[in-house]
Amino acid sequence: MLEQAVVYAFVALVLIGGFMAAFSRQVLYAIIGLGITLLGLAGLFLSLGSPFVASMQVLIYIGGITVAIVFAMMLSIAMSLHPPAPDARKFGFAIASAVIFFGAVARLISDTQFQIVSPAPEEAWTVGALGHALLTHYNLVFETLSLVLLLAIIGAILIARKEKTTS
Amino acid sequence: MTLNAYLMLSAALFSLGLIGALSHRNLIALLIGVELMMNAASLNFMAFNHFVVTDPVIGQIFVLIIIGLAAAEVAIFLSIILRLYRAYHDIDAEKLTEQRG
Repeated sequence: MLEQAVVYAFVALVLIGGFMAAFSRQVLYAIIGLGITLLGLAGLFLSLGSPFVASMQVLIYIGGITVAIVFAMMLSIAMSLHPPAPDARKFGFAIASAVIFFGAVARLISDTQFQIVSPAPEEAWTVGALGHALLTHYNLVFETLSLVLLLAIIGAILIARKEKTTS
Repeated sequence: MTLNAYLMLSAALFSLGLIGALSHRNLIALLIGVELMMNAASLNFMAFNHFVVTDPVIGQIFVLIIIGLAAAEVAIFLSIILRLYRAYHDIDAEKLTEQRG
């Protein structure tokens, strides 16, 4: 278990990054906000007892996905340099729907009684147990995910390749 | 932190992602909003796994699946943006109303 203050620092990171990602008009700032949020979430996963998932979050999300989004921004730079004027009506609708959603879910959460059980012992959270479960009981999930990733690679190449000019 | 605090944080993160996905016109900003919502879901899975379900493996597997699917999604999205930018020189979601095969 991490110190409580460190956990609250991670919560602050998540919220600050989320606000940056949702409200900034410059895409680069939004991407940086996404990275900050992901870092805070990795810390929260650590406090929830899973160092492996936290490190995967940092490796794949921050190291891979965020960088890929930066590449996407650089390859389509015109709109990122000159962001269009915000549409106040659309923004109002977005805020209203988010507030309604958050209010409903918050009401639901505070009304529900969850049966808290004592957390599993530390040694149950090892990477070994996770790998064993992935290759035995959850093997179908594992194979499906690898198939999806393979199809995504092939599809990305097919979509992005240059068309042969016939003329 | 208690379970309810984690769930509230996750709901707030999802709402921020909803704002990002609904209010922006840039396709990349929409993608960032969707990523925020997926991360709110994975935070929920980890919190429930820690506090409510005794099996410590299944929540981690869910989060790993979400991370893998997000990677696949971003790869496809990147190629679509490349293609759109080559064809239209624009990635404004409100101008891209025409689709041809």
